[in-house]
Amino acid sequence: MAQVLTANRLSDGEVVYLAADGAWVESFDAAKILATPADGEAALAVGQEAERNQQLVHAYLFDITPAKKPVKMREIIRAAGPTVRRDLGKQAAF
Amino acid sequence: MYRYDEFDQKLVDERVAQFRGQVARRLSGELTEEEFKPLRLMNGLYLQLHAYMLRVAIPYGTLSSRQLKMLAHIARKYDKGYAHFTTRQNLQYNWPKLGDVPDILADLASVEMHAIQTSGNCIRNVTSDHFAGAAADEVDDPRVWSEIIRQWSTFHPEFSYLPRKFKIAVTAAPKDRAAIKVHDIGIVIRRDASAKLAFDVYVGGGQGRTPLVGHLIGEGIEAGDLLAYLEATMRVYNQYGRRDNLYKARIKILVHQIGANEMRCQVAAEFAEIKQHGALTLPQAEIDRINAYFLDPAFEKLPDEDLTAQRKNKAFAAWVETNVAKHKVPGYAIVTISLKPIGGIPGDASADQMDLVASLAERLSFDEIRVSHEQNLVLAHVRQRDLFELWQTLDKAGLGTANHALITDIIACPGLDYCDLANARSINIAQALSKRFADLDRQRNIGELKLKISGCINACGHHHVGHIGILGVDKKGVEYYQITLGGSGAEDASVGEILGPAFGEADVPDAIEKLVDTYLAARQPGERFLDTYRRVGIQPFREKLYAAH
Repeated sequence: MAQVLTANRLSDGEVVYLAADGAWVESFDAAKILATPADGEAALAVGQEAERNQQLVHAYLFDITPAKKPVKMREIIRAAGPTVRRDLGKQAAF
Repeated sequence: MYRYDEFDQKLVDERVAQFRGQVARRLSGELTEEEFKPLRLMNGLYLQLHAYMLRVAIPYGTLSSRQLKMLAHIARKYDKGYAHFTTRQNLQYNWPKLGDVPDILADLASVEMHAIQTSGNCIRNVTSDHFAGAAADEVDDPRVWSEIIRQWSTFHPEFSYLPRKFKIAVTAAPKDRAAIKVHDIGIVIRRDASAKLAFDVYVGGGQGRTPLVGHLIGEGIEAGDLLAYLEATMRVYNQYGRRDNLYKARIKILVHQIGANEMRCQVAAEFAEIKQHGALTLPQAEIDRINAYFLDPAFEKLPDEDLTAQRKNKAFAAWVETNVAKHKVPGYAIVTISLKPIGGIPGDASADQMDLVASLAERLSFDEIRVSHEQNLVLAHVRQRDLFELWQTLDKAGLGTANHALITDIIACPGLDYCDLANARSINIAQALSKRFADLDRQRNIGELKLKISGCINACGHHHVGHIGILGVDKKGVEYYQITLGGSGAEDASVGEILGPAFGEADVPDAIEKLVDTYLAARQPGERFLDTYRRVGIQPFREKLYAAH
């Protein structure tokens, strides 16, 4: 199953994702799709380096569906914001 | 209410300065997250799903208007214009930035508040009866004793690294509004045969993955010995409480494993040892000093009001019936401000609402607000003649919902919408049920029904002690909800029984409605849901709910 690498930004706790160009982006849609376990491991190493550099907290991989959506509700909510406050979180800008 | 002395203020100010340095070192890389995490948790700062979360202590749920206005100011300046009142008389901000937290703590310190001991394996914020000092049925003001316990437990070196977190609740009324029997230590203050204060100490209650009702371990402890007895209990826990297994580390597990009698003996032996040295006897002068902070405000001599004319307004009459409680002084009333508008988020209040309540308290309730563990606010000392005006003002601001203790007065934890520990959402279920039972006449016909929802087994939403409890679980990535019946957090405390297989999100409102209908069909005059359940047992509810399956 394909995966995406995520973490929280140290300075403000914002949910971020590793993008294809190596940047940390706030939008799930801009996240790099990690198609293989090897891709995931390589990305995780990048995340751990960013943790050591005080950019991020707790980098980890999560599964996505073939339609490139998070499998788990937890990640759906992290990617958008609270389902009970559509005016808050990333979804507020949608 | 209690005011900081120079020592309190210095202690809190120093903690702010320390944390400012710790945050700076974390941001500069001098501290790793592993090193920083215990430090931030000691200051109430968590990292949740979307952002950091700061939990602010509201000792025994008492706030001044000035403090509530500061909480509103912080919500506006550093957060997203609202805050969440929790089930432990705390307040949470859901979106603070790490670099702002020292400034937030400094603002809190400027009004004698902090976020210390709202996390970690220490004695947490002491909670109490939100009607304290006003309730007609209390024998003493439990806040006096809560404050004494707060001072004793704050930064107590012996209890800073306990096996697990430790929660203490205090009540001084026969009607338990503080859920004392589901706390690590619950204290009931009563008068003995000679009218002296006596303290009954319940130990080993709690919720979480192993819900248990506390046992009466210390009976009739004298006021001067209260801290010695508590310290003896803590020492037994510190010595024998498990540190090898997170899930078996609470004192309730210790009491459950060795038995209440053995726990009683162990504490008695430790208590005798402490007493022998006499170091912890509470001096009467100190009790008097703390007591002076909680003396009655300058109540006027008033008759009880005849509200017949105003009660012609049906909505006001309903609000008086549910949200207004008897005060110990004639002419006054205790008002519960519901933070559960129909379809709203339980416990959330906007900065504007907090400002409004603060101003109303300033003008109409001796400058004092209470926060209840049921996620509502309370104005404890309102002149009855001011009730109509107060209700009109609250109602205009969305704070006049007449549902206290009814089925839509739902306790719900933040759940998976915010919480890093949650397995399922809880607020959405609360909202759906609130809408389903929105009709006020129907709610009043159902009567008292405590509905409580948690998004995980940690049970912050107190589902184990709900008359109807709902627990969110994750089954292969899908949210399901398990229902329990027959719990109570009151003086008749009990742990709810699991009804049967869990329901999907969409099916929960129908399921709850069937349970309520089953109760309505079976109830006898004067029975609450809980009474009927206890009389008929779980089977009729189970049959009705799972008949089609």
